[in-house]
Order: sequence, then C-alpha cells, then structure tokens
Amino acid sequence: MKKKTKSIQPNRTDTAVGMNIVNQAEKPKIRLENINYVYGKNTPFEVHALDGVSLDIHRGLLTGIIGHTGSGKSTLVRLLNGLDRAEQGRVLLDGQDIWENPKEIGKIRFRVGLVMQYPEYQLFEETVWADIAFGPRNMGLMDDEVEARVREAAAFVGLDLALMEKSPFDLSGGQKRRVAIAGIMAMRPEVLVLDEPAAGLDPRGRHTIFQGIRDYNRKTGCTVIIVSHSMEDMAQYCDHVVVMAHARVFMAGTRDEVFARADELEAVGLDIPQVTKLCVLLHQAGLPIPVGLYTQETVENALLALFQEGKGGVRHE
Amino acid sequence: MNNIALGQYYPAKSVMHRLDPRIKVIGAIAYIVAAFLCRNVTAFAFLLLSCFVLILISRIPLRIVLKSVRALVFIMLFTAVLNVFWVTDATVEPLFAWRFIRIYERGIYQAVFILVRIVAMVIGTSLFLTYTTSPIALTDAIERLLKPLAKFHVPIHTFAMMLTIALRFIPTIVEETDKIMAAQKARGADFTTGSLTKRAKALIPVIVPLFASAFRRADELATAMECRCYHGGEGRTKLRVLRLGGRDVVALLLMGFFIAAIVLLNVFGSRYAWLFTM
Repeated sequence: MKKKTKSIQPNRTDTAVGMNIVNQAEKPKIRLENINYVYGKNTPFEVHALDGVSLDIHRGLLTGIIGHTGSGKSTLVRLLNGLDRAEQGRVLLDGQDIWENPKEIGKIRFRVGLVMQYPEYQLFEETVWADIAFGPRNMGLMDDEVEARVREAAAFVGLDLALMEKSPFDLSGGQKRRVAIAGIMAMRPEVLVLDEPAAGLDPRGRHTIFQGIRDYNRKTGCTVIIVSHSMEDMAQYCDHVVVMAHARVFMAGTRDEVFARADELEAVGLDIPQVTKLCVLLHQAGLPIPVGLYTQETVENALLALFQEGKGGVRHE
Repeated sequence: MNNIALGQYYPAKSVMHRLDPRIKVIGAIAYIVAAFLCRNVTAFAFLLLSCFVLILISRIPLRIVLKSVRALVFIMLFTAVLNVFWVTDATVEPLFAWRFIRIYERGIYQAVFILVRIVAMVIGTSLFLTYTTSPIALTDAIERLLKPLAKFHVPIHTFAMMLTIALRFIPTIVEETDKIMAAQKARGADFTTGSLTKRAKALIPVIVPLFASAFRRADELATAMECRCYHGGEGRTKLRVLRLGGRDVVALLLMGFFIAAIVLLNVFGSRYAWLFTM
C-alpha cells in the first residue's frame, strides 16, 4: 500500500493546477483522495460542500488554505482529524486511512490537533493553566510532562506566566484566543490545524498569533495548516498555498507559484494582497515592475528600484 | 445533534403553507378535538383517511412526516399494550384467558383506536403547526389569538416576544453545542464511554462555555434591542399584517364540516359505537 502511494506521487500533479511537489522523495504528511461531502442530503437544504477534493499537505511545512466563505474550507478542516467523515474519498495520515479503525479515531485527534474558529468560546476551566492542560491530561500524561507542555505552549503563543492562575473569562479577547491555541499546541500534535486563527483581531494581535504559529512550525518541525480568507496573512506566513473555490481545489503550490497567477485569483473573485494589486496596476500602466510580488518588503524594494531608475532619466508619459 | 426535529419548518409550495397561521393554529386545535370525538370504527377510519389527505395537500414527503411519529413510537405502543390488558367487558367471554390475564375483543379495538388517535394527533398538529408554519409566523398568530387577554392586563406582547426569541435561538444554541462538543472532542474529550458519573462529568467542558455564551448573547441582544429603541408592544405596528383571505375562510368551513362529519359518523357509523360512551 505504502509503496504504491509513493510510486504514483510524481504523476499526481493533475489533481491541482500548477502543483509542484518540493520533495518528491518524501511522502506527504496528509493526503486527501477524491473527497465528497454533502450537508443535509435528501432535504431541501442540501449543499455540496466538497466536490472531488484531492490534495497533498507537505510534511513540516506551513500550508495555507484560502477561499471565500462557503468554499468548503471549514468542512475540509473537520475531516482532517475525523470530527466528520466524508461519504466518499479517504483521508490518509502518513499513508494510513484515518478511518481504518473507527474506534481509534480518538488517537487520530491527538495526532492532528484542530483549533476551531473562535476557539476562545471553548474555554471552561477555572484557571488558564488548567484549561491549557485539559488536552494533555486527556492524553493520560504524567503531571510533570503536562506541566512541561503547558509551559512550552504558553511560551509559543506569548502568554505571560503571570496570567496562568487567572480565570480565562477575565482575559481580553486576544489573550483568550492565545490560551485556546496553546491548549491544542500543548498536545504536541504532529499536524496543527487552525481555522481562521486571527479572525476579528487587530493587526498587532494577528501578528502575534501568526508569529507564534510560525515559531511553533519552525522550532518543532510539525506540519501546520492555516485556514483563512485573508490573502495578506497567507502571503506573509505560509510556505504552501491551497486555493479553494466552489467546493473544489482551484490552485495549489508554493506561494510563489500561486501568487504569480494573481490575475487568475482575481478572475474567480478572490482578493489578492493589496501590494500585489498595486504591482499589477503599475505593470499594466507600462512600468517595468514584476507582477508576482506579494510581501510588503519585496514590493517596497521593487518600487525603490523603479524610483531610482526613473531618476536615471527614463521617463514615463 | 442535527436530528432534532423541534420546530422543523419544511419549506414547500402548498395551500397549507400559504394559509394564515391563525387559521392553522385553530386547525390544529380542531383536529385534536376531532380525534377525541371519534367513537367508532367508521369515524376512526375517516380520521386516518383525513391524515393522508392532509399529507398530500401539504406536499411534505411521507418520510419526513413519519419522523415526527417515530419519536413517539414507544409511548404509543405502551399505551396500546396497556389497553389490551386493562379493558374488561363483563357481558362477553374473554378471547383469551390465562391466570389473571384476560383479553377481550373490546380491549383490542380500544388499543387500535388509541393508536390511531395518537398517530392522527401527532401528524395533524405537526402538519398544521411545525412543518408548514415558520416559528415566527406561529408566534405572530399566537400573539394575535391571545390578544383579547390583554384587556385583563396579561402582558401578551412580552410573552410573544419571549417566545419568538426563545424559538429563534434554539437552532443557534444547538449549533453552538455542536461546535463546542467538536472543539472539546478535538482536545480529547470523550462523551460516549465510561460510567454514568464519568459521562456526566465529561459534559462540564460543554456546559460551562455554553452558558457563558448564552449569557453573552442575551446581553448583546438586549443592547441591540435597546439601541433600536425597543420599548415593548405599545403603539408598535407589524411588518407583516395578518389578513384573512378567501382560502382561509374555505379552510375554516372545511374544518367545521370535518368535525360535523365525525359527529355524524359517530351516530350512524358501524358497531362499537358504545365503546367510549362511558
């Protein structure tokens, strides 16, 4: 079984446009095979949430899943750790079907940690400490191991240890969010999945959270998946980007590959980062500026270069 | 969690959906009265037939309608079986006798009658009220029908508003419960195995956040209502004013005919007319 998966991998580029597998020798951490998911089957409320989705999530990288509301992102996320089961298709974790043994699905949930949307509303314990320790305790770990993990997770999300004995209900919104994320990190899952981890936060709060997630990814080597509708955040923090549209995978690849095709993203009604939009507009106006830029620094440099060039004598209109 | 059929409005295009909700409330009451008036085989057969006619008119799939009956199967069978053993009839020989157990023909008839009566009542009320009437229309109708009580200083508007809000938030809270349970499952909470106390304890991580968010929602809603200068029912007009149309009058007449027909069948129908005369 494993051998077979390996051998077909180089040919799987057909599943998504422009997919370029970085380490072809290495197997993907998670592979989705032809997933179909329908809500409210046989009722007037029937909705096709996922329609033949196949996808590889690469080991150790930070993958962003992006799409409109209703594109099937959140449904996809619930399938990854077995909260829901697709009627058709398989979810493979390290080459193994997560539903191979339905009774053991609880163990899969420790391996694939899921932070749901607005996770601050799940806090329930009397202290922040106890809340973060809830997951590790359920794993049946010893007290000192739990303590070490709580400390480590709190450090990743930048929680002050002085907060640990407070009630989670007394914290600010951003702090609550970080406690909830730490609660999943403390389980040290092999794959960390976050559904809109920065929704409703101010720019500084967004930055703290994304920076913490990226630190976690780089320091532990765990695979991380972030679901978001914000192109800006994805462009800044992700290695790989998967674009969902109309219940299907529209595009997948490294972030260079995806943002190089900004025009196609706009064509399906997705927002591209504002700096990318600026470059495209300048390019259309006839200025020699590359179109595939998506981070603030690169665009800044390109504009400066352009300015210098303009000073050198070349004038436009 | 999504299987809860509470207030399960089923959108479809039928005469029944378009009826004035007040008429449907009256219809549901009339149907219950009719089910209780039935006294003999012919009347019950007529009642059962009317059930099928109602299902056809409402254009709701039989599968969906039977769902509401299925929830009460246990109670119905329990009542029916109890009647088989309970009913005695001194005038005839029992059909079956063993030690203290005596089963009479009359008992079997009565059990079947009760079964039909409950099935008809459940189908009738759910067709009139839950399946074809949206919760908002229903509370509107209840408010209007109870309006005469306002003369006796009963706070009808407040009552209706509470009902509307409660109904409005049932799906929200169900959804919220679902979400919180999923989130705690993702953290390794286990709701399905272990002893009863263990499972009750496992619910704490669900109940605490659920209460917290219910209070938060109530607070937000109150603020939002106050921001829009809500001050109760005095001088308040309706967005959708309920008006009786031609079909509502026809429906009302049909209900009258239906009850009259049941009464007539009770008198002129087949045997066992004596059954419920006691």
